[in-house]
Amino acid sequence: MTQPLLEVNDLHTVFKTKDGTVKAVDGVSFELNPGETLGIVGESGCGKSVTALSIMRLQRPGKIVGGSVVFKGHDLTKNTEEEMREVRGKEIAMIFQDPMTSLNPVYRTGWQVAEPLRLHHGWDAKKSMVSAINMLGRVGIPSAAERARDYPHQFSGGMRQRVMIAMGLTTTPAVLIADEPTTALDVTIQAQILDLLRHVNREFGTATLLITHNLGVVAGMCQRVMVMYAGRIVEAGPTTDVFAHPKHPYTWSLLRSIPRLDAERHEPLKPIEGLPPNLIDLPNGCAFNPRCAFRVERCSRDTPRLLQVGDTQRAACWVTQSGAELKGA
Amino acid sequence: MLAKYVARRFLASILVVLGVTAITLALMKTTSGSYVPGIDLNPSLRPEDIARLRADLGLDRPGWEWYATWIWGVLHGDFGHSMIDGSTVWSHVADRLPNTIELTGTAILIGVLIAIPVGVIGALRHGTKTDHTMTVVSVAGFAVPQFWMGLILILIFSVTLEQHGLPWLPSSGAYSAVNGGDFFDRLEHLILPATVLSFFYISTWSRFIRSSMLEVLSQDYIRTARAKGMSERRVVYLHGLRNALIPLITLIGLELPGLVSGGLVVEVVFGWPGIGKLAFERALQYDYTTVMGVTFFATLLVIAGNLLADVLYGVLDPRIRYG
Amino acid sequence: MIGPSRVAELEMPGAAVETAAGRPAQSYWNESWERLRHNPIGMMAGVLILIFALIAILAPAFSAVITHFQPQSIDLSATFRPPGATHLIGTDELGRDTLTRLIWGGRVTLGVAFLTVGIALTVGTATGMAAGYYGGWIDDLLMRFVDTVLAIPAIFLFILMSILIHPTPITLAAIIASVGWGSVARLVRGEVLSVKQRDFILATRSIGARDFRMMFRHLLPNVLPVLIVAASLGVGQIILIEAALDFLGLGIQPPTPSWGNMLTNAESYFYHSAWLVYFPGIMIFVTVLASNVFGNAIRDAFDPRLKT
Repeated sequence: MTQPLLEVNDLHTVFKTKDGTVKAVDGVSFELNPGETLGIVGESGCGKSVTALSIMRLQRPGKIVGGSVVFKGHDLTKNTEEEMREVRGKEIAMIFQDPMTSLNPVYRTGWQVAEPLRLHHGWDAKKSMVSAINMLGRVGIPSAAERARDYPHQFSGGMRQRVMIAMGLTTTPAVLIADEPTTALDVTIQAQILDLLRHVNREFGTATLLITHNLGVVAGMCQRVMVMYAGRIVEAGPTTDVFAHPKHPYTWSLLRSIPRLDAERHEPLKPIEGLPPNLIDLPNGCAFNPRCAFRVERCSRDTPRLLQVGDTQRAACWVTQSGAELKGA
Repeated sequence: MLAKYVARRFLASILVVLGVTAITLALMKTTSGSYVPGIDLNPSLRPEDIARLRADLGLDRPGWEWYATWIWGVLHGDFGHSMIDGSTVWSHVADRLPNTIELTGTAILIGVLIAIPVGVIGALRHGTKTDHTMTVVSVAGFAVPQFWMGLILILIFSVTLEQHGLPWLPSSGAYSAVNGGDFFDRLEHLILPATVLSFFYISTWSRFIRSSMLEVLSQDYIRTARAKGMSERRVVYLHGLRNALIPLITLIGLELPGLVSGGLVVEVVFGWPGIGKLAFERALQYDYTTVMGVTFFATLLVIAGNLLADVLYGVLDPRIRYG
Repeated sequence: MIGPSRVAELEMPGAAVETAAGRPAQSYWNESWERLRHNPIGMMAGVLILIFALIAILAPAFSAVITHFQPQSIDLSATFRPPGATHLIGTDELGRDTLTRLIWGGRVTLGVAFLTVGIALTVGTATGMAAGYYGGWIDDLLMRFVDTVLAIPAIFLFILMSILIHPTPITLAAIIASVGWGSVARLVRGEVLSVKQRDFILATRSIGARDFRMMFRHLLPNVLPVLIVAASLGVGQIILIEAALDFLGLGIQPPTPSWGNMLTNAESYFYHSAWLVYFPGIMIFVTVLASNVFGNAIRDAFDPRLKT
């Protein structure tokens, strides 16, 4: 058993607003092992991005108010800004959702890709550019040497995301956090980028934390998956197991709501009833209970914890923890 | 790419110039139809003089001929003659233009040098007392009448200081007639008017930089920059400011045309021998042709200034020229 | 600029739409008014302008009842009196009561300013509307014309026109507006172009609405917020221009008082009657400041997204 690369323990991140305190990350714990791809899945506002940003300590204006993030033995939450800068872009890299707005429009792409090398390895302009061009080629950008002199707006969406990936990997970090890397792209391009990420994961051995709201993306990419809801992890386990027999009603509802090619012609869609919760004013007990098809009386009183359910999975649900199976029409 | 862009803008400018000449023609014709401007108010002119002037100004000739002659003249740098003393408009302009540019150019320079730091600080410290104070001062500065501010400054720094036997700043002219003309003398004369003129720029631009910076700093690429692990300083100045300055350049570019005319009031208040003061002096004498000529010249500069600003923008924002 | 899409979205007459938080939504205008009301500084500025305007309108009453002086009544035996009992802010070089002249001066200045705004808005809106709505060669022609007018440095044009046309308050307003309308035209055209794309315009067209009706009933209300903001922000600028022209002697001629021309010879009075220099300038400053602050408040009220 190798040591986990990244260990998040009971992380709490909040945002103070004029309407109250938003508990964006409400007690999240997980591990990321070297070389593996872990998916965090959930709807908008469930706290998955904030979790990632908290790891990088980029959660401002939010505040980390509890827990720890242990990376290679150090607790990142206790680092000074100086120390964090040694980690960001060098040991842990992050790529974002919209490559058009995430790249600086006034600098050439080669320059931007080479920047982490100049910053962290102290290389000169020439050396870092050579390496950047090399990396651009490896992520699948043709004529990399010429393209390195181009500006971001001269690239298509898919190409830009490749540039972002190249930029993240130039320093061969141990961890790559990809926050919705394909959401802003066309479906056909999505597949290409996911291929690239898989390829990169194999070739560089980078552990990848993949954040997405798209279950399909998770299915193709991640060995393990965590499902988040209202700032908490509600289910975790190997992807195949979670998808085959989900142990949390939310996961179960999500999987059910995906329209299927082999469904009956006039079968109605099965959306999840109700609205996402207000993170300032969470309901008592389990945050999902108002929308849950399986709820029992206890669900609106006590908050379930993430515990082992079945051989390989963990779920935070009173119902499944007591042994019941999730079945329904 | 850049050349094509410049060519396009240049062509558009030519069109505007032609339009302006048309307006000039229209103005000349409307007034010349009823009376030769200013003549009525000059009792010492005899009918022969009036007739001569009318002939001189070409007001008897058909519109087309007049227009053509005039355009021809302009292409050769002939912007007309004074109705009063026959001197060429061009001689006056050539004489005064450098002074105006000296004044307005300095004011813009001061404006940029002060507005950028003030704006950046305001953005970095937004919401704090410092920021609020700066905002209030900016908003107030925007409301002060230039001529009044000039008056007050003269009264304080020139008149009152002199009264009290303290070293004082000169209140008029660009240099001392007596023994002046050297760099420091000119500088002394430049301080007060340039300060007054720059006040407006500082007020507007610092607010602008502030909001531009705030907007830029909320962009995704700033988050990316931070995620790459660079110092906050580098994030703000190398990645942020570089983007925030682009719209400012447009703004400054928009002022470039005003380089010639913007200082008129200040020139008059401080007796600064520039183009604005020229126009004013001549207007008081009802020297219509000179004012006309100066106006047209100034307009040409405005159009050229706009063109320059467009080009600058193209240089600075790669999206424009490669787009 | 204020997003016209926002206007279109919220401009549902009388519709009470439930928002996610359970509050009923109001019409765009009501919402904007609410936001304005909650801006204390903005409201104060607005009230101040209102007060000045009222005083200006009631100037004759003030003369009769409060100061007991006429703005042009000369009293050579009481020149350069300092502020005192009879003359609350003293007198000028011809013994005229300064306070009275300030009030009447405000009447002129504000009058010219509002008239200028009115002219510029009317002409500019008509032009911009036509250009934006009809497009094609009409648009090109009108906008080239606007470009041309805007290319001429305003102050030179003003000087030129003031030696051609004898400046009275009305002609002065026309002169100043002769440049201002151009910016308004551009602004309106821009708004019309973006609003034109909105579906509800297409829908209205498809039911056969005529051009005029389109422009007045549908485009104009959407353009109105932008106009209102431009007007409030513009008033300040216009007052400054007008004051400058008066100061130079090219605007309102003495003996009619205006804040600008009260300062024309101010330099020479400074030693003994500094208040003659301060007060008119302060009045200009305060009025312009108030109008700028109010203009900003209105803009924030119409589109809070623009707030920094």
